[in-house]
Amino acid sequence: MRNLASLLFAGGLAFLLLTLLSQLAFGTPPMRVGAEILAVAPGEVGAANLVTAILLGYRGFDTLGELAILFAAATAAGVVLGRRRDDARRDPPGGEVLRTGADLLFPLLVVVGFYVIAHGHLTPGGGFQGGVILAAAFFVALLAQPARHLSHGLILWIEGLAGAAFILIGIWALVADGDFLAPLLGPGRMGDLVSAGTLPLLSLAIGLKVGAELAGIMAHIADAEAPDT
Amino acid sequence: MIPDIALPNLFVAQPGQLVLPVVLPLLAAFLMQPLARVSTALARGLGPLVLILSAWITAQLWIQLGDAPFTLAIGGFAPPLGILFYADGIALLFALAVPVFALLFWPGSGSGGDAVAGSGPDSNQADRDQAARRDALVLLLVAATTGLALSGDLFNLYVFYELAAVASFGLVALSGTGRAQVATFRYLMISAFGSVLALVGIAILYMQTGTLNLGQIAQLAPETLNNPIGSAAFALMLIGFGVKAELFPVNTWVPEVYAGAPARVSALLAGLVSKLAVLVIVRLLVLIFPQPEAAQMLLVLGVLGVLTGEFAAWRAKDFPRMLAFSSIGQLGIVFVAFSIGGEIGLLAGLAVALHHLIVKSALFGLAVRWNGSLEALSGAARTSPLGAALFVLFALSLVGVPPLPGFWAKLTVLIGLAERGTPLDMTALMVILLVTAVEASYLFRVAIRLYQDNPDPVAPHARRDLGVAALLGAVLVAATLGLRPVADVLGAGAAQLGDRAGYIETVFPSHVAGKDRP
Repeated sequence: MRNLASLLFAGGLAFLLLTLLSQLAFGTPPMRVGAEILAVAPGEVGAANLVTAILLGYRGFDTLGELAILFAAATAAGVVLGRRRDDARRDPPGGEVLRTGADLLFPLLVVVGFYVIAHGHLTPGGGFQGGVILAAAFFVALLAQPARHLSHGLILWIEGLAGAAFILIGIWALVADGDFLAPLLGPGRMGDLVSAGTLPLLSLAIGLKVGAELAGIMAHIADAEAPDT
Repeated sequence: MIPDIALPNLFVAQPGQLVLPVVLPLLAAFLMQPLARVSTALARGLGPLVLILSAWITAQLWIQLGDAPFTLAIGGFAPPLGILFYADGIALLFALAVPVFALLFWPGSGSGGDAVAGSGPDSNQADRDQAARRDALVLLLVAATTGLALSGDLFNLYVFYELAAVASFGLVALSGTGRAQVATFRYLMISAFGSVLALVGIAILYMQTGTLNLGQIAQLAPETLNNPIGSAAFALMLIGFGVKAELFPVNTWVPEVYAGAPARVSALLAGLVSKLAVLVIVRLLVLIFPQPEAAQMLLVLGVLGVLTGEFAAWRAKDFPRMLAFSSIGQLGIVFVAFSIGGEIGLLAGLAVALHHLIVKSALFGLAVRWNGSLEALSGAARTSPLGAALFVLFALSLVGVPPLPGFWAKLTVLIGLAERGTPLDMTALMVILLVTAVEASYLFRVAIRLYQDNPDPVAPHARRDLGVAALLGAVLVAATLGLRPVADVLGAGAAQLGDRAGYIETVFPSHVAGKDRP
């Protein structure tokens, strides 16, 4: 019975998608909102990177939602991943070469991460991408030396405060301007490192939060007990 | 454009503050875990405090601004460029119901008897961490569902829908049993599948109209979406958003999840979250897809849901599963009602949905203790007379025995179906009458069992769960006594909800999209 229902459902879905394929006219989407944002964004938000102007300006509220989704996923992973027995085995360290390589890589990755975050409003990149690079710095360190201990408390604080900073910048705009997440501080001169109002601050908050979150998940996984073989 | 800093803004009700009931729970959720490391008491109090504050802000705004629908442009970007919140009576009603119900079924405090780490005195750091995670997830769920009630932007709705989904995965897995984790995994797979379909549907709408603002899509829909592509997009979004709304056939996760999750979480998911998903579908139906194919799809899937849900409930062997299947059936009736369309259809759908919100939440609250097989419930009336009496009250209303509100809600659906009177409608009408008999049969079987003689009945309810159920029972009785005013208020809400032209006019007061920029 259940198989028959699944078959019917799959058949219906296939029919639906085929209908769409045959009917949809590809290649000429109307640019209603897109064209208007292209026209007004440089003056209104002042970010040279238009993608960031949309992500943090026009659709900044969605970005807050995305941050919350990532946070929910990290929290849910924390719920499921469980706890470590104190006497449980850890994976063996990665050896001299890997360890030295990881130590050398760590500062480079951190610098690149912060560079990508800080230039999010100017060049491709931004908080999410930079945050992932920051987290990768910690991934490499942990993978080379599984016994290394990342402080859960510190990670939690960075993550919490960075997320709070994003929202507080939004509430600041609400108090000052009457609209949550409205652009503040003026657009500045396009292309300058200090421009586009609060956008770089939002980028920084996102970068730190995403980095801390992913590093936190990694720390949780690293804390899981190694198999007994 | 340096803003002058004027503080008193926050103390005068203005539309901009409507964003606070969404972002304050987010803020609290972000800070919950580090705060729990500093002070357990602070972290425990934070959640309920924020919920009370959110409810208070929404109530204030509703009282001062809420007669006519109003919008607020987040970030101050005039529609359709930015994201928009749209607040009519129904949106505000649900935005208010979310923190209130989350508070009633707050999983943190009280000896709920759930096998959740952290209920009771937290013994060590790991338990405290787990409790903080649980509170953070509930707050995320609250923020997401409030956003679903208020948002007037298609992609923003999707973001909040995803947030609700991910937060509920964590909450369902909380009880930590293998059964719960398997149920969560199944839920995750179906949910992810649905989300992809919904996203494809949204992408198609964006491709056809070039905008994500619901008001503007509604303006453009008659010429761009009244075709097979539009119907296909609706089908995709219906299946996608239908996962949380327990729509047939993407509801197979329901029984295992509600049986495996902590009962208060089940109460929130079955009561609240499903209703917000329904609200999203109704908004799409009213604003964007007035074509008859869309309503027919809803009607057929709704009828199938009613049939499968109620017959499975009849066969269910334990209490939470029975409630879960009955919930599928009830939501099927909600879909049938909304498919009727027009003011009577919307009124009937709202009535059944709100009735189910109150009754099913309360029943899941009783399931905190009655979480086992139905046989184990015999004689429970002796240890928990009030609980048993409340069960009978809720069962009577669920079946639809006059003069309880459940009777009026079902009757409105039947009248709506009879008025339209196509063969499909008459089939739906017969099905609803048939399953009413089925519902009566399995609910009264349980009621009789509760009052059987048994020397060794289950333990009584915790005072808090019983109190919440009694409160909701009192609301139900109050609604019975004041059925006329309740019906009037709901009727006005339904008229607003169905007012497509009014929605567009509220979003674009000058009729010229995006040209009224300062």
